Parts: sequence; C-alpha cells; structure tokens
Amino acid sequence: MAEVVFDQASRIYTPGAKPAVDSLDLTVADGELVVLVGPSGSGKSTALRMLAGLEPIDAGSVRIDGRDVVDVPSKDRDIAMVFQNYALYPSKTVAENMAFPLKMRGMDKEERGRRVRQAAEMLGLTDFLDRKPKAMSGGQRQRVAMGRAIVREPQVFLMDEPLSNLDAKMRVQTRAQIAELQNRLAVSTVYVTHDQVEAMTMGDRVAVLADGKLQQYATPPELYDRPTNAFVAGFIGSPAMNLLDLPRSSTGVTLGGVEVPLPREISDAAGSRDRITVGIRPEDWVLESTDADAGSVIKAVVDVVEELGSESYLYAHLAEDTSTSIVVRGPGRVKVRFGDPIAVRPNPEALHVFDVETGQRLP
Amino acid sequence: MTTTLERPAPDKQAGGAPMIDRAEGWRRRAPLLPALIFTIIVTQIPFLLTIFYSLQSWNLVRPGSQSFVWFQNYADVFTDSQFRQVALNTVVMTLGSVLIAVALGLVLALLLNRQFFGRGVVRTLLITPFLITPVAAALLWRTVLLDPTLGLVNFVLSPFGASGTEWISEFPLASVMAALVWQWTPFMMLLLLAGLQSQPTDQLEAARVDGANSWSIFRELTLPHLRRFIELGVVLGTIYLVNTFDTVYMMTQGGPGVASANLPFYIYQRAFLGFDIGQSAAMGVVVVILTLIAATFALRLLFRTFSGEEEAA
Repeated sequence: MAEVVFDQASRIYTPGAKPAVDSLDLTVADGELVVLVGPSGSGKSTALRMLAGLEPIDAGSVRIDGRDVVDVPSKDRDIAMVFQNYALYPSKTVAENMAFPLKMRGMDKEERGRRVRQAAEMLGLTDFLDRKPKAMSGGQRQRVAMGRAIVREPQVFLMDEPLSNLDAKMRVQTRAQIAELQNRLAVSTVYVTHDQVEAMTMGDRVAVLADGKLQQYATPPELYDRPTNAFVAGFIGSPAMNLLDLPRSSTGVTLGGVEVPLPREISDAAGSRDRITVGIRPEDWVLESTDADAGSVIKAVVDVVEELGSESYLYAHLAEDTSTSIVVRGPGRVKVRFGDPIAVRPNPEALHVFDVETGQRLP
Repeated sequence: MTTTLERPAPDKQAGGAPMIDRAEGWRRRAPLLPALIFTIIVTQIPFLLTIFYSLQSWNLVRPGSQSFVWFQNYADVFTDSQFRQVALNTVVMTLGSVLIAVALGLVLALLLNRQFFGRGVVRTLLITPFLITPVAAALLWRTVLLDPTLGLVNFVLSPFGASGTEWISEFPLASVMAALVWQWTPFMMLLLLAGLQSQPTDQLEAARVDGANSWSIFRELTLPHLRRFIELGVVLGTIYLVNTFDTVYMMTQGGPGVASANLPFYIYQRAFLGFDIGQSAAMGVVVVILTLIAATFALRLLFRTFSGEEEAA
C-alpha cells in the first residue's frame, strides 16, 4: 500500500532526441487504480518500466511511498509486475512460478506453499498447480501471471497490457476480475493499455499520454465530459468525437451552410478567432425529420450504417460540404440505408470547443 | 467388399496415401537407386569384410599365415589389458574434453552475451581455434605451446619455477585433451550463445522484478533454458571427438606406451604398424558395437530434447 509519485520524470533514449517520456507528473494515491493510456509510442509503457526499474530515470524522480527509487534496483522496489506476454518461467510449474518471488525473498517453504494455495484459490488455479505453463490456455496463463504478482503482497502492482493477448470475450471477463481483485486487495496499481475502453472501465483515474507528454489526468467521466484538448477529445470515446474545423459567424459557427449558435461562455472564450475546432460526440447529434426547414438542420448523406442492436452509428458526409464526414448515433433500429439523406442538429449544450492551432479547450 | 467397390475414394483416403501400383513405385524410386547402391558398396561391404577378417588369424608380415580361427581374436581383444586401457583413455579423452569445453564455452558465452566495447572483435578471435585444421592445431600445441625449451607455456610459467616441464611426455593425455578443448570450446560457446540469445527478455525482466539476483536468474531460469543446448553440445561434441585421430597422431603418437592412445589410433597402430589384420578387425567390430549402443542412447536424448518438451510458454 503506497502512494506513487512521478515527479518531472523523463526518459531520454538518445541524448538530444525527443524524450520517450517527457517531464511526467503523476500521483497515484494509495489503493488507487490508475490507467496509463495512449497510442503506440506515447511513452506509457516506458513510464511503467521506469517505475518498475527496467528503464533508467534520466531526469526528475519517481517515489514509492515517499522513497525516491531512482537508484533502487527493481528487486528492492517492492513492486510486482504483470507482463503483456505473461513472462511465465517455462521450466517451472504453475506453483513454482507463483512461489518464485517468495523464494527469491527467502520465505520458508511452508509459508510459500500456503500463500500460493491461497492465491490459486482466489484465481481458480488450484487444479493446475502442477502443470507447466505450456499446457495452459492464454486465459489461464494470464491468471498465473496475476497470481505471481499477488502472492507477493507488494506495495504497487504494475500491469503492462495484461489483456491484449486474450480474445475479446475473455478480455471483458478478465477486465472485471482484475478490477474486482484490485478493489479487494486495495493495492495501488498502475495499468497500461492502448485500449480506451479498458481505461474508462477500469481506472479510478486515467492518464492520457501522447508523444511522451501527459495530456490529461482525470476520472473517466471528467475525461469524457471535459477533455482538456482536441487529442484527448478524439482519443476517448468510441466512435471518436466529431472534430470539425469551422469558421466563426456572428452568433456561433457555420456548419454545412447552417448557423450553429454557440452558448454565451463558449462564444466569449473563443474571442476574436476566425476559426475554431468544434467537437460533437456521436450521441450529441439530434436526428431531425428530413422535411425540416433548411435553415435549422444540417443535411447529410449516409455512407455506412453500423447497427449494434441497442444503437446504431451512421457515418455520413455533409450535403453542402462533401469533404466533411460526421458520425451520428441513432436508435437501435434505423430505416436509413447507404445513400439516404438525413438531417441532424447538434445539441448546443454538449459542444466542445478547441483552439485550432494549439488544440486547447476554450472555455 | 461391395462397399469398397462402390465407393473406392473414401477408403483410399482412410488408408492414408493413395495407392500406387508397383511399376509406378519403382519408377519413382529408381533415380535414388545409384545413391543407395553406392552407399551399400562403400559402407556395408567393408563392414562385412571386416567381420570376415576378424574371424581370421592374418598377419601381413607373415605371408601364408592366414587361417580361420573363429572368435579367438575377440577373446584376445577382451583379455588385452592395453585395449582396456585404451578404451578407458577414449572415454576420459572424449567426455573430459567435451565437458570441459562446454563449461568453458558457457562461461565465454555468458561474457559475450553482455554489451561491451569491441565485442565483435573478441567474438571473432574466440571463434578462430575452431576454424583451424585439427592437424595444424595439434602441431601448434606440440611445438609453439608445449615444447619444453621453446614453448610458450613454459615461458609464461618460468617466473613460477616451472621451466623445463616436458608436458607432452609427462602429461600426454592431458596435453591432447588441452588441444581438443581449445579447438572445441568455440563451438560450444557459439551454440550456448545462440541459446542465451533465444531466451525471452521479458522472463529475465520478470525475474528481476520478482526479486531475483543475477545468480538466481542464472540458476533458476537461464540454466534450465540452456539445458537442451548443453545436451546438444555434449552429443555433437562426443560424436566428433570419439573419432579423434589427427591430434593424437600429431602430438603423442599415442605414447608413451598407450598412455594417450584412443581406440581409433590404437586400431590404426595394430593394423598399419603391427600389420595384424585379424586382431584389428575384431577391435573395429567391438568398437562399432559399443559406439552403436552409446549413440542410441545419445540420439534418443537428442530427439527427446528437441521434441519441444520444454518449449517456452
């Protein structure tokens, strides 16, 4: 149980080049599950490996429970890590794999056996203790890797994309198991993933990284409702938010030849800019009748319809401006098909507005 | 029967490969026949002749002495104390050299598996002994290294008062083994280096996070991972070294007495220096049988090792 602090921590692979992790500031509270999420090359795995002691910390510091660990080797950091490919020891049985960290810490055999059995019970591995990892399925191996981490009762769990080698169904199931287990054990956890759904569903707080820099660190609802910049806005949410670069008009912006009024505070924040980036989530469009008055609705033509059962997503391009594509969420059963016209109107209360140049949120 | 006639296709499928008539079968195999016949001529006919000779008393020095003696030669082989001594030499020389070479190769491979300045050059230099012709290597050891007055070994040891040691006559078997180990260590090193580099890095990282120190990682993970590479090295090294002839011939001529002779060299001596065809043929047959027994076990080990029993998770 411990607080983890990244304090201006940086990792520079080649001197002079852009840092892989650039002055990261992050605090993981005691018992919290924090997810690091970002696209490939965003530095999320590097940040985790810095915390694990598998990558040096070139500048700044990392503290675990108040102790600066920059010069502390991995084995003395009191952490446990779950790897993407599980990194089980192939020559050892499941029980030996799980007992390994205890053995390395000089725990006596009886206590080791007791703890391994306890963890195996928790993870449903009791029947597999004498098997070698080779004789197990991906999901079972994943649980062995989890077991090897929890027997230690470490101060911090580190998980590096632990679900990415599982099939979709298994992933959803294991996701819930890990979150539940983490809640029960109340061990501070840093979890790395590239999957924003995993991030949103598992994290107490989520840190979005891009190009080695922290973009936003917030709870999942806040991340969704108030993305701090256009990158976060586009990264969180599926399908992604519609980000449209639009010219200003007297009362708002012009979209598809239609005046879209902006709420007062957004309009004020936008100041004298000629153009602003407007973000509209797929569910924040209101589908209108195609007969509606031309001045109040935006006409579009459907390209693709994705029906998911409970809802559907319409991918369309604007009738006025065919180069602009939008995604609109519709009800589960929609009548429209490829080539059909639709009419939509954005919900003015749910607009996100960003600076065109910097991508920063405006109000 | 009726079914077979009505539906021939599925039955053929069930029986495995489709049936080929005899003529077609011969037509397909015919191009392989010359190679097969050649192999039989050069391996099996000499073997049968050797068995035939081994049942005769035949010494080339005494023409007309050739006579049929049944198993007398075999009885002589087993009562020959020199033969037993030489057989023991062979075991010591082969297994001793292989095991020492594996041990040294492992140490060198572990060192080469680290990053350091000039690693490529060091690796190339370490491999060179393996590239030298065995005869040249033996000559090098006999003259340049182990010569009592001019040798480098005595020169280097002279400050410690070891000058003038007659290495080759005082320690003949050890001298031959030293040359063999020197030649075979690079092979073992390369094999084990390949093994080390095939070890997944995430397992090593996991072990570090799990609190293992370098020695524990080596003992608990690296050594089990290298097991099959070590087994392969031992089997291959043994197959090659059990036939050693040139090193013995060049360095010691098997002497003094038979102190450094191994079976191939001893049989050569009896056949081409002693001209005792019957006796040496019998020894050859005995050696072939012993080698077959040993090779069967060794190859079984090799196949078990590479059946993927311990494949990574």
